[in-house]
Amino acid sequence: MIKHHPSQSLLLAFSRGQLPASLSIAVSAHTDNCSECMHQVLALQESSALFLDEPDTEFEQWHDMSMIDAITSDESEMLATKSQASSVNIKGTEYTLPKSLSSVQLSSWMKLGKLARAKVDLNEGEVHANLLHIESGGTIPQHTHKGFEVTVLLAGEFHDENGSYVPGDFIWLNESNTHSPQTTEGCLCLTVANDALHFTQGLSMALNPIGKLIY
Amino acid sequence: MLSSNIRTDKKAMTVTSGPRDQSAMHQELCGWLHDVATLRSKSAFSELFKWFAPRIKQFGIKQFNNEAQALELVQETMTNIWRKSHLYKRERGAPTTWMYSIMRNMSFDMLRKIQTQREDTISDDIWPMENMLVSEDVDNFEDHLENKNIKTMLATLPENQKQVIIGLYFQQATQEQLAKQLNLPVGTVKSRLRLALNKLRNQLGESND
Repeated sequence: MIKHHPSQSLLLAFSRGQLPASLSIAVSAHTDNCSECMHQVLALQESSALFLDEPDTEFEQWHDMSMIDAITSDESEMLATKSQASSVNIKGTEYTLPKSLSSVQLSSWMKLGKLARAKVDLNEGEVHANLLHIESGGTIPQHTHKGFEVTVLLAGEFHDENGSYVPGDFIWLNESNTHSPQTTEGCLCLTVANDALHFTQGLSMALNPIGKLIY
Repeated sequence: MLSSNIRTDKKAMTVTSGPRDQSAMHQELCGWLHDVATLRSKSAFSELFKWFAPRIKQFGIKQFNNEAQALELVQETMTNIWRKSHLYKRERGAPTTWMYSIMRNMSFDMLRKIQTQREDTISDDIWPMENMLVSEDVDNFEDHLENKNIKTMLATLPENQKQVIIGLYFQQATQEQLAKQLNLPVGTVKSRLRLALNKLRNQLGESND
């Protein structure tokens, strides 16, 4: 069962289209799996739409009608489009990706030991999104995050000091959280972070370049 | 007793409600959207435009803090409404929700273009429009309802009061959170709550006494 959800304020910002694309994709990968949050988003959307007709708000009268003619002079109708979920094959396992990623380019996979990552090309400056694959038996050494890091588990399982996670879990971590995720059967995650991982323990501090790789 | 109330409540609602009542507006918007979709009626589209354009502009100014971009959002959104009206399904929710979703998607893609210089349109992948889901208001909170009658009674409330009751009692928001969410003063939430509770109490009273 999914235990980790986006916060209320994140869902509200999502429903209003105010989050960066990377975070919107992460929230949508969660709501694809979580009917509870999906209903929340739809209800927020309906409330926002109702607010459009809020009796206490005064709207200006619209005088310039030239836009109407310009729009209606085009008689063609748009066809319904449906997002096709794409899939990736990593070391022989086929994974279906969230629909929200279907029009987005992925970089080629960079591999390092049991880790592999592909960048999601969104061009959002300091906020980076990645697909991260950890092979069965793989671990990411104990680390913290200099900024925030969101992980949405897409397939498989992993666990850390705080428990175990199932597909759909939306995990938000910041500087104050330290963890070392490991997976028994392997997993595919979507991660969104605004800074590199920072390894905190002994020898693995020498691994800080891995943090850059994953970020 | 209750059941006879229920059968008449639709009628009662239209009789007692004022000219700005949302269900009346809802009917009118549905009618216009229907005429645009089936007859390609330009006059119905003009009505939709006159109602929606100032609202989009206001939303756009909040989103972009720039009038020219807000007007571009009006143009883009209304163009999509004109060209996609045949895709609107009445049973999939209020026309306002449908139009709001188009506006939100357009605004998201525009913001993205402004901030990242990318021309891709990914909003329709994040919030699919074609099989748009609706929360079915109260239906999804059915499990939380001990008594189905409450659901039927809720249906007799005006939309804005129903929203407050659902927010506070079924989604368990605080009055402050709900006010923020709906962009309303807390006082308005409180007064709607009072009106709604009075109405519900009257109905309950009739059947309980």
